[in-house]
Amino acid sequence: MTSIERIHNILRRRPVDRIGLYEHFWGDTQKKWTDEGHLEEGEALDDHFGFDLCGSWPFNMVGKLDFEPETIEETDETILQRDGNGAVLRRHKLHDATPEHVDFLVKDGAGWYEHIRPFLTFDRRRINFEAYRDAKKHAAERQRFFHWGGVNVFELMHPVCGHEYMLTGMLTDPDWVKDMVDAYATLTVELMETLFAEEGLPDGAWFYEDMGFKERPFMSLDMYREFILPGHRKTIQYCKGRGLPVIMHSCGYVEPLVPGMLEAGIDCLQVIEVKAGMDLLQLYKDYGDRLSFMGGMDVRKLYTNDQAQIEEELASKIPVVMQNHGYALHSDHSIPDQVEYDSYKFFVERGLELGTY
Amino acid sequence: MSEELYEQIAVCVERGKVNATSPYPPDLKGQDGADELVRQALDQGLPADDVLGKGLVVGMTRIGQKFSENKVFVPDLLMAAKAMTAGMDQLEPYFESGEAHHKGVFIIGTVQGDLHDIGKNLVRMVVEGNGWKVVDLGVDISAEKFLEAVKENAGAVVGLSALLTTTMVNMEKTVSLVKEGVPGAKVIVGGAPLTQEFADKIGADGYSPDPQGAIGFLEAPVA
Repeated sequence: MTSIERIHNILRRRPVDRIGLYEHFWGDTQKKWTDEGHLEEGEALDDHFGFDLCGSWPFNMVGKLDFEPETIEETDETILQRDGNGAVLRRHKLHDATPEHVDFLVKDGAGWYEHIRPFLTFDRRRINFEAYRDAKKHAAERQRFFHWGGVNVFELMHPVCGHEYMLTGMLTDPDWVKDMVDAYATLTVELMETLFAEEGLPDGAWFYEDMGFKERPFMSLDMYREFILPGHRKTIQYCKGRGLPVIMHSCGYVEPLVPGMLEAGIDCLQVIEVKAGMDLLQLYKDYGDRLSFMGGMDVRKLYTNDQAQIEEELASKIPVVMQNHGYALHSDHSIPDQVEYDSYKFFVERGLELGTY
Repeated sequence: MSEELYEQIAVCVERGKVNATSPYPPDLKGQDGADELVRQALDQGLPADDVLGKGLVVGMTRIGQKFSENKVFVPDLLMAAKAMTAGMDQLEPYFESGEAHHKGVFIIGTVQGDLHDIGKNLVRMVVEGNGWKVVDLGVDISAEKFLEAVKENAGAVVGLSALLTTTMVNMEKTVSLVKEGVPGAKVIVGGAPLTQEFADKIGADGYSPDPQGAIGFLEAPVA
């Protein structure tokens, strides 16, 4: 069975030979393992571990394409810049971290309509045709499931206005937030239409959203349905209409939003973050008949670097969630550099051993 | 009469009614918000501490409790915090003159190497809303800066936030430095990768997965 066949079947919960395999890594992790001699310089992790998927992230959704990032302040460790969304962000230079939101030009509907909306138009420069083409070829040569990857509306809005303005905007100016959702969903579909027409369809689509945090989603299911679902439905149903299964990533605790995401049409929920409160076994019990899963393996067990703990984590979950043929092995977020190479290798080998039918 | 006004203030905070021009919530459109009602209360000569404790803090406590119980979500909490801030702005001169009093000082920050602030900001809002003076150091704060802040604010409690597993180690360093530098200083920790077990291991005095838990820690009776 090729990886393409395997993942297609996993996303549709049809019989397969084994569970799927994929992972995300911190840049620091790959560097460390390379320095230690476990990886060749520049070696692709999907080749090294035999992942079933690989993807491409070809869209640039920044508001102003022609804006050159403006450095406001720079230290040995951090850099403060204004970007093409009018956002002032501080990034850490020495290690992987998501940026600090410092300030935004867009704080309300007026700011959105002035600074971003007029510029959020179709432009071929938003599509990296070459990167998509190369990644697709790389995947095809290895018979690997190739996915288009990118963020969806929730993750597209907060770089423009920040979480606080976006979330309070849902209450104080709902039409503004709905317009942002529609603008980003429409542009995403327009770009997909062009890309797929010129470079061919992928095997599937993978949307990244981070709609939850510790033990809570950012919004209620009702708010998700009112604000986010229309955008998810537009983008996901476009993909489904092209025959593409859809994987949805969300960090944090998003269990209450799963019914809404199912309404949008997702085929697989990924990453299932244990430390945020997500419970893979409970999700399987509640939704396993109509939803596939990728993730949910507690990375904190991995960074004990204790094989007994890793074994316990795998053995307690894989035999259950593989029963409906709808599971792919992945940590519950990503692999930091505290995880030793041998620990991750054991995770993969033992996980696939347990997950072989 | 005063009790009625305090309750109106509490409702405005709980429901996120900032001022008369705020369109939210829709059913209170056009009515006075926390801003105007706190001003009215103070102009009537009601004690500033009562306006704070019986009005603003009551409202914030209610919404904080509902948030803990997953009955409301981040947008509701943010709006309540905005209403609270509007009311607190009216009280600022009374804090400066000593007529209004904070319950204590809470120093908060995200530890060194970590730039995340959403969780920290939510805790800051709820703690401020419960009548504490909050010194928000920001993000990427070294252990030394936390210690400096604790020394500058005698009796302050410290709150540490981290989102990354790699920055949790800096939490341990900060707890040690603060407790060595200011014996008796209390430290509470929180953040996505944290657990009670980790908090106990690094010598923190408390752990909370949510903002209301921080209030529980701050206001627990001293043994």
